[in-house]
Amino acid sequence: MIIEISKLNKTYSGRTVVDIDRLIINAGETVGVIGNNGAGKTTLFRILLDLIRPDGGEILSKGVNVASNDQWKNYTASFLDEGFLIDYLTPEEYFLFMGSLHQMNTVDVIHHLEKYKEFFNGEILDSGKYIRDFSKGNQNKIGIVSALMQNPELLVLDEPFANLDPTTQIRLKSHIKTLKSSQLTTLISSHDLNHVTDVCDRIILFEKGIVIKDLYTNENTLEELEAYFSK
Amino acid sequence: MLLTFLSHQWTGFWRSKSKTGTIAAQLIMGFLVLYLIGVAILVGSSMQDLIEYKFPDKDIMIVFNGVILYYYVIEFLIRMQIQELPTLAIVPYLHLNIPKQKLVNFLNITALFSPFNLLPAFIFFPFIIMNINLDYGLFACIMYMLTILSLTVFTNYAALYFKRVSTGNMKIVIVGALALFVIAGLEYFKIFSISSISNIVFHTIAGYPLTGIVFIALAVAMFMVNARYLKNNLYMEELKAGVEKKSSTDYPFLDRFGAAGTLVALEIKLILRNKRPRATVSKGLIFLFYGFLFYKNDVLEKDEFGRILFAALFMTGNMILLYGQFMFGWQGAEFDGLLANKTDIRTFFKAKLLMLTLSATLLTLITSLYGLMSWKLLLVHLSAYLYNTGIAAVIVLYFATRNYKYIDLKKGSNFNWQGVGASSMLMSLPVLLIPYLIYFPVSALSNPYWGLAAIAILGISGLLTRNYWLDTLVSAFNKRKYKIAAGFREQS
Repeated sequence: MIIEISKLNKTYSGRTVVDIDRLIINAGETVGVIGNNGAGKTTLFRILLDLIRPDGGEILSKGVNVASNDQWKNYTASFLDEGFLIDYLTPEEYFLFMGSLHQMNTVDVIHHLEKYKEFFNGEILDSGKYIRDFSKGNQNKIGIVSALMQNPELLVLDEPFANLDPTTQIRLKSHIKTLKSSQLTTLISSHDLNHVTDVCDRIILFEKGIVIKDLYTNENTLEELEAYFSK
Repeated sequence: MLLTFLSHQWTGFWRSKSKTGTIAAQLIMGFLVLYLIGVAILVGSSMQDLIEYKFPDKDIMIVFNGVILYYYVIEFLIRMQIQELPTLAIVPYLHLNIPKQKLVNFLNITALFSPFNLLPAFIFFPFIIMNINLDYGLFACIMYMLTILSLTVFTNYAALYFKRVSTGNMKIVIVGALALFVIAGLEYFKIFSISSISNIVFHTIAGYPLTGIVFIALAVAMFMVNARYLKNNLYMEELKAGVEKKSSTDYPFLDRFGAAGTLVALEIKLILRNKRPRATVSKGLIFLFYGFLFYKNDVLEKDEFGRILFAALFMTGNMILLYGQFMFGWQGAEFDGLLANKTDIRTFFKAKLLMLTLSATLLTLITSLYGLMSWKLLLVHLSAYLYNTGIAAVIVLYFATRNYKYIDLKKGSNFNWQGVGASSMLMSLPVLLIPYLIYFPVSALSNPYWGLAAIAILGISGLLTRNYWLDTLVSAFNKRKYKIAAGFREQS
């Protein structure tokens, strides 16, 4: 068990966005978080990353409340949106900066980036642009790779497939699958049911902040989810 | 349609996140405008007396006619500096079923809402109505006024046009600056005189009122040029970045400061690569000339350091005040990332203090050139420096934790009040008052030098207890970090 959520709730002007009585994520799971807009996926991630203070309840990461202690930062890597990028840096500078936070030197970072040459498709490195001048999809790639680079035990990605071109989506999917191990827990939110059921071993479906379904993926999951969303 | 646009702007103004700040700013601007109009009315109504008083032995008409074009040249330069381009507001409408012409009209009409367009009427009309009417008849008087109005419209659109053309085009800026230099030089050496041209022009209008039509035509032409340019360039790509290749840089000098040094390097890039912080910092350099205003020999001879303390504090610490007040706002866009990543908040604050200290050190080194005026100034600057780094930096950072306003780094800094809140205004009060509270009693009890020493000692004690203050800042920050992050997330 790596994450333990209890009695968590958050409301914005009377509208409940997160209301979780109890939810446990085990170490090594790849969890897909799905739900329509307003289901509270991003809010949940933000509370998990201690960016929003919940109205009540708590999230324990490895048994420690994320809001009271920064320990979780040592093993958690995340990319929620462009707000996580430092947009006036070149991608190289950004990767080096992120690396330096995790005691990686230039050589380590370059070595790591080698692995993502294909993923970058020759558009990111040595492009002579600041991050703010990249398209959304490419910004997304930069954020995802910098999260992966940190060698986390807990990886949090908010809609990583959005804005990516089809090739990159497929590459990202297979990459996440290869990363699966008992040492890495991954939380992914997505609107693409195909992708999440393909990648994740567990799916949690939210609606208005409440857990509606929590199931381990099998061959019927996709149909079940499609049925749910089309009703 | 025009009214719809205006009502959108109006609601946008009232619903903006930084509403209180914007309203306060608008109020201040409003008072400033009222003041200017008041001055203009005063000048306008007493124009005749003013001219007679200032130039007793000159013909009133010659002086008056000579002033007009001068006024417009200066107005044009000021407009180039501070008049805003209202382009960005229309981006959400570009793709809609709205004729381009309407958008252009909207831009052109909103451009007329500028106090600059009112001032000339107040300044020149009273004199024209009273004097020209009597001496040259009603028709000449009307043509005079029409000429003034046309010139106002002309400068209005000319300034906007040149501003639009010159954004992102260094060549035009350089050529323009050179032309200005040459004209100023010619004027200075009396080879060519704006006032004599102005005189000839308005003398002609007085004699042959119909010639005023030329100016009306000029104003219309400038309006058309501007409108055509807008219509042809109404593309979002104007907002896109330059094409030159950006390269990665690093500052090895900062490596010795460890993690804090890395963050400082990041912040230096932030300043150099974004418009607003760059403008803020470069404006700070202008304040380095404060010394010439404040440092007078008689003050220095009598050791009246109280009268120059402000200049010293501001010159050595203007980065701390001007840049430091938005300490987190500058990083508003990536604040979530900084929080979620493995950046220790203590290191973060250390970096901020390091950066402010470095800036003050640099400014103090530059301003030590004033030491050539008197060695006493070096003492004043040194105590101001110690105070700024030891005390002011901490106060500023403390108040910065109470500022939740996002700042758009892409916008300019002239009259840009985004991010300015009550806290940032209040902040400068204690920062600038404390030194006086120390200096005056001590120098009254002993002598001015001990007063300076007391400020320096306060600063040093602040530096020695920096770790304690760091902890205070961290806990102040932790109390409000959710609020700060939420504020930055709403980027308007």
